[in-house]
Formats: sequence, C-alpha cells, structure tokens
Amino acid sequence: MTSHRLTPYLFVLPALAVYGLFVAFPILDSFRMSFLHWESPLLPPEFCGLDNFQQLATDPVFWRALGHNLLLLVGSLLLQLPLAALLAFLLHYPTWGRTVLRTAFFAPMVMPTAAVAVLWQYVYEPGNGLLTSLLRMTIDQEFSHAWLADPKTALLWIFVTICWQYTGFHMVLVMAGLSAIPTDYFEAARLDGASEWQVCWHVALPALRPTIAVSATLSIVGSLKYFDLVYLMAGGLPESSREVLATYIYRLAFDQNQGRYGYGSAVAVLLFLAALAIVTPLQARRLRCGGAERTAAVGSGGRAA
Amino acid sequence: MKKFTCRRLVPFCLRHAVLAGFLLVTAYPLVWMALTAFRTEGDAQARPLGLPRQWVMTNLAEVVRSGDFGSAYANSLMLCTAAVAGAVTLAALAAFAFAQLRFRGSHALFLLFLVGMMIPVHVTLIPLNRLLGVEGLGIKGGLTALAGPYIGFALPISILILRGAFAALPPDLLDASRVDGCSAWGVFRHVALPLSRPALATVVIFNFLTMWNEFAFALTLLGPGRETLPLALTQFKGEHDIQITLTSAALVLVVIPLIIVYVFAQKHIIRGLTAGAVKE
Repeated sequence: MTSHRLTPYLFVLPALAVYGLFVAFPILDSFRMSFLHWESPLLPPEFCGLDNFQQLATDPVFWRALGHNLLLLVGSLLLQLPLAALLAFLLHYPTWGRTVLRTAFFAPMVMPTAAVAVLWQYVYEPGNGLLTSLLRMTIDQEFSHAWLADPKTALLWIFVTICWQYTGFHMVLVMAGLSAIPTDYFEAARLDGASEWQVCWHVALPALRPTIAVSATLSIVGSLKYFDLVYLMAGGLPESSREVLATYIYRLAFDQNQGRYGYGSAVAVLLFLAALAIVTPLQARRLRCGGAERTAAVGSGGRAA
Repeated sequence: MKKFTCRRLVPFCLRHAVLAGFLLVTAYPLVWMALTAFRTEGDAQARPLGLPRQWVMTNLAEVVRSGDFGSAYANSLMLCTAAVAGAVTLAALAAFAFAQLRFRGSHALFLLFLVGMMIPVHVTLIPLNRLLGVEGLGIKGGLTALAGPYIGFALPISILILRGAFAALPPDLLDASRVDGCSAWGVFRHVALPLSRPALATVVIFNFLTMWNEFAFALTLLGPGRETLPLALTQFKGEHDIQITLTSAALVLVVIPLIIVYVFAQKHIIRGLTAGAVKE
C-alpha cells in the first residue's frame, strides 16, 4: 500500500484516544484511588498506603460478595451449561418447530437485564406473583413465601433468573458447535452399532470440547460482571447477603451518598486483578492452540454470563 | 427421515416433552407479564393467572400519558445511534490498520485493546464519575456523558471482529487496488469497507443491543430527566411498585418492540450477539 510510515498510526489513533481516556485511564486511576483514604466526597483525600486493602482483608461483606460471585460461577458451570448442552443436543435431532424453539430460547438475551429483573421481581412477588400464584393453584391455597427476602435462598432464585436469561445463549453456542461436526462421525458410529446415547457421549461430546471451553470461559469471565440483576433483585436483603463485587463497589461509592471512593476503588482494583488473573492463562492457552480468533472475544461486552 | 417405530417413538416424545417444558418456562413469564398489563388492578390481585376477566387499555394509556417513556425512548435512540456510529467508525479504522498495515507496536497495541474485553466495566465506575463530573469534563448528568464509556468499551470486541473480516479479504484484490495507486485510506474506504458489510452489520447489532440494554453506567452517570430506557423502567418500578398492572404495562412498552424487532431479524441478532464466540 502506498502509504507514509505514520499512516497506520493515524488509523489507530482515534480509537486509542477514546479507549485510553474512557477505559485505560479510569483503570489506572482506580489503582491510584485505592491508595487513598477518601471516605466522603466532601473531605479531601489522603494517601494511606495499603490501609484500604488491609481493611478489605477483614471485611466480611467483601468476602461474602466474592463468595456470591463464586457460587454463581459454580452454578453456571455445573447447572446452566449442562442444561444448555442438553437442549442443544435435543434440538440437533429433527424436531418440530426447531427454528421457533431456538428463537424463543434465545429471546431473553435480547431483553435489557433491567427488564428481566423487573419481570422476575414480580414472578417472585410473595402476594400475587407468578410463582406464588402457581403454587397456590396447585399445591397449597395458603402458600406464601418471600422468595427474594430470605437471605439464605435469595441468591438461588436470582441464579434461576440468570439461567432463564442466558441458557439460550449457551445453547446456541453448543448448537453451532454441533453443526460443525461432520455428520460422517455420527454415521460411522451408528454403523458400528453405537446407541444414540453412546453417539452423544463418546462422539459428539469430545468433538465439542472447544465449544464447551468457550462457553465455560464466557461463564467465568461473566461471573465477575454480575451487577444489574443482583443490584435490582437483592436490594431488599441485609447488607452482607445482597452483594456481589460489582454491586459492592457501587454501594460503597454511590449508595445514599456514601462516597467511599478510596475503599470502593480498592474493591475495584481487586475485581480488575481477579479478571486479569482468570483470563490471562485461559487466553494464553487459546493463543498457543491457535484458537485466538475464536475465543479472544470471550470477554465481550459483559452480556454473556 | 427414518420410519417411526415404537423404539423411536418414545425418545421422540420424551425429547419434545423436555423442549416444550423449557419453552413453557421461557415464554410463560413473558406471556403472564403481557396479560397482566391488560388486567384491572383488582383482577390482578384476585386472579393473577389465566386470561384477564376484563381487557383494559388504561394501564398502557396511563404509562404512555406519564410521558417518561417517550423521552426515555428518544434518549436511548439518540445515544445508541450516535455511540454505535462512533464506535464502529473508530473500530473499523483501527481494525483495518491491525489487519492490513504493518507498523511497529501493532501487536502490543492490539493486545492492549483485547484486555478491555475482559474487564468488568464496574472497575471504572468510580474513576469515570470523577472524570466526567465537575472536577473533570463536567458532562456528568447529561446523555453525552455515556457516549465516551459506551464507545470505549465497545471498541475491543468491534476491533476484534472487524480485524478478522479485514484480514480475510482476498489479497489479490487489495494488491490490485494498490497497484492502481490507491492510498491506504482509499483501500479502506473503497475496498475493505464495502466488502465487509456482514461483519459491519454484526458489529452494529452487537453494540446497539449492548448499549440499548446497558444499566450500570446509566445508573451512575445520568442526571434526573435524562434517563435511558432501562433506567426509566427501574425507576418506574420503584415508584409504582405495588401496582403490578401498571409496571407490567411499562415492561410491555419496553420489551415488546424489542421482541418484535428480534422476531424479524432473529438470524442477524443471534449471529450478532454470539459473534466472537462462534466462528463464522
């Protein structure tokens, strides 16, 4: 291409400027702020070294929040992903209304998470919500349960909502993986007398390993990005039971004008480091395996949890 | 298709039963919400399931009359259109350089962009509030405050997808246009962009939906009266919490147009939202 030596930089510069100002700079700035004792927007910040991090080490709310992130992650890996894979396998056979089903299962992904949260708050409404009403109709006329107000189980019901929104997404990924497997594989196995179960378990599943790795990586990265649903649905719980890391940052800094920018930034720094620590090895492995194009995008947008 | 025998019939029925069950779980909350929007409040309290005893339009009318959602739609539409246009333009330029131009530091710069995909946006909530607030750029509270972060966080995935598309262009074609004396800009503008329409469409859809549905930045950066749609909905819910019919009507107004667009463009939307995770 007939171009000046500087031309490539001119192409990259606008993107780099916006990215630097609104993504890179804020991240570095949160490192700086995490070393500040800054408990209110009205007070001047003071340098305090690692005090914020020391305080975090003994902050039960922080550890519970981290635990909630991990629980949601384990749930999506052990329950959501297998469910998504099951649906994808079922749909892989000739099925009535296959396209309609696929479209319907994916539909919640298109909704704003805020709308999903509002909808499911009514599903879980203790008085005349959908779930309560269904149970009253079928099991016990007097049934009543404050689904989202019980600290012990609220997270479970939020997890159900997460599955409702994201299972279809992972199902579509697995479906794409399945359709990429040459049908000869299946035919050969069937000719050798394998049962359908064996075909799925011993032929399709091993061939799906890259797809499942992508799905799992998405779940792992996404598990650090939970915010909307938890913030909106767990608001009524006591402080120690309602937070994930992202909502804790928000509440420390902005809720009821707390303005604990320094302490909140310390949580943010740990969230950033956790994301980096989780993703770097996964990414490096993918790059080594030459699957970069396929999986480099796994952190995308924060929608895929 | 193979003939049905009894041995095949049982798995066939079982399979469809499981799928139908999941369809029910997926669709019923949405259907219930839509029905509730047309109930009277008394009906919703007494008989929350089944068809409305009396279909009323008053809920929808009241939500429309309250006016907030009209301006929220306008806000979201303006913001997302501008931010998507900005993000796709910047991303296309950078992606073209990464795919087709050789320059020092290109690998490091590309990796720098990739890191952005892994980061939970919430890491930047506090610094961005300072940056955009009165001590910084002074635009916090207005819609423009969201454009920067939206574009910034849209760039990594957009650059990644577009770089893939630009790198897959036929080399002969690019060489030919170079021989004809096209500058790098000329190749980008007249060869690469027109040939990459599908990838551009994917990027537009992905970013538009992500921005349309974004909540955390909107929650922290917007001032009163400047709500985007998701924020307006949650605030409406906060104000009318006990009026389930009214809130359902608001939900219908937010979700149904989206579902209608989705049904018509589902192929493109599914491809757009799974872009990067599924190889084309």
